[in-house]
Amino acid sequence: MATTRTEPQTAPPAPPRATQERTWLWVTLMLAAVALFARFGHPMQIAWLRNLLIIFGSLLIEAMPFVALGAAVSALIEVFVPPSSFARMAALPRSLQIPAAALAGMAFPVCECGSVPVGRRLARKGLSPAAAVTFMLAAPIVNPVVIASTFVAYRGRDSQWLMVGGRFVLGMIVAMCVGWVIGARAPGELLRGAAVTDETDDHDESRGRRFITHLSGDLVFMARFLIVGGLVAATIQTFVPASIANHLASLPVLSIVAMMALAFFLSLCSESDAFVAASFTAFGPSAQLAFLVFGPMMDMKLGALYVGTFSKGFFRTVLIVVAAVTLVACLWMQVIWG
Amino acid sequence: MSAVTVEATRARWSTMRVAIGLVLLGWAVMFWTLFLTGRTYLYLSSRTAWLVPMGAVIMSIAAIGRLWTARTEKEEPLESRTAWALGVIALPVVLVLALPPSALGAFSAGKRSTYAGSAIGATARDVTGPLDFVDIGAAQSFPTAMQELEARAGQPITLEGFVTTDASAPPDEILLTRYIVTCCVADATVAQVRIVGLPPGNYPTDEWLEVTGAVYPVGREVLVAADTVQQIPVPSQPYLTP
Repeated sequence: MATTRTEPQTAPPAPPRATQERTWLWVTLMLAAVALFARFGHPMQIAWLRNLLIIFGSLLIEAMPFVALGAAVSALIEVFVPPSSFARMAALPRSLQIPAAALAGMAFPVCECGSVPVGRRLARKGLSPAAAVTFMLAAPIVNPVVIASTFVAYRGRDSQWLMVGGRFVLGMIVAMCVGWVIGARAPGELLRGAAVTDETDDHDESRGRRFITHLSGDLVFMARFLIVGGLVAATIQTFVPASIANHLASLPVLSIVAMMALAFFLSLCSESDAFVAASFTAFGPSAQLAFLVFGPMMDMKLGALYVGTFSKGFFRTVLIVVAAVTLVACLWMQVIWG
Repeated sequence: MSAVTVEATRARWSTMRVAIGLVLLGWAVMFWTLFLTGRTYLYLSSRTAWLVPMGAVIMSIAAIGRLWTARTEKEEPLESRTAWALGVIALPVVLVLALPPSALGAFSAGKRSTYAGSAIGATARDVTGPLDFVDIGAAQSFPTAMQELEARAGQPITLEGFVTTDASAPPDEILLTRYIVTCCVADATVAQVRIVGLPPGNYPTDEWLEVTGAVYPVGREVLVAADTVQQIPVPSQPYLTP
């Protein structure tokens, strides 16, 4: 019996296994060292470190449940929706697919962290990449929860309806523009080539086992990028004062650029960013709108997720198109409304 | 020979699946701990606290499911790259569980934007009710809210907040600060009020105080003339939700 378990055919070569075992040991030791420092090193008595660790923790504690929800929806799509459904949608003209995908975002009430795994899954499953990306970018802005939070954040202000309506319309337009630029790219061109951890799908397995494989695979895949992005965002929040942008508030074009840059570095959830945008009272409505449209489509943690999930040029394409369309639209708004 | 063949194809524990299951289990334990101990409010607002039990349930399903299905017929070793990635994913869990409970302090008060409310005094709030930091924050941002506060000048107010150092202030004055959080601490904005006429004593930065006194709007600022000042522990919900 014992010999069958150690048959040469089934055992991997000795050196890699030894390396792998050592890696696992190093990782465990590193985590143990971090735990000991966190517990007995009094890190919370160092003001900047306490600030950084609390913001880092809070970004993840808020974002991970959304990623988990997105991963669960993504796994359900993979297991229960037949590829033929997406093939039928992909056969429609792109001029119809892209607006339909943007509108479909209204039915998915999660923030941007949850929409990335779903967008990725839709593209893998056969929906045209243009439509999948449009959906992924539009959903965090046009869903009812975000509309309601924007409404509440601007309650009692003259610009309330301008912000609520402007965010919805501009969010749709920007998402569709990115979809249009992605155009006829094949899923293979859009998604990153690297194999996805743990995602060896066996269609002979039961649906329950396949669901768990995809759920855990998506979680592990997304979480590492989210954590890296969250750490960078928390570091910037700790050391760079938000008031740094206030100096640019009265300058016509730079005020919009400054608010977009602030949205990028703060990496807020789209369900709460309206309250922060509303606190920048020195900025006009057009600059605040730029913050509200740009942030849910492009920020530090999303950047990390995009780089990990999509092909090399994707991050650059989204950054350029989202920034350009948001800037031009908000400049027009600035001319009209100030 | 046939016994050997059967044995060779028998399912065995996949190291990678077990490792993934354990890391996801760590996240589930972290969410359940936050939920059951009330430490959620050190990171999230009361409005988004529901995310924690939701995360706990989904992570538990993923972790238990992964461990339950961790026996495979083909070998799945844990590669070095995956091991490091799992270490990164486990890092926040280790930090949150090992760190002593702590709330955002005075360090970032000067780096965050000031709470500007949502014209709260003008619309949705009960302006006859007890005054708090949210009313003061709104008053310092909106003329309508300030007018309503001016109408209540001299009325008693009780505030809980932490001390923020103001080097230019006389010894009997401090800034009392509270963060207003909408979703998570990353979106915290600052509400501050100047406390004047403090009883003699030492008021170190970051110490939590309960101040009772009378509120006086002066120009664009709001002052509280202190009657009693009491040191208090960090509240279970250190951030306010508008």
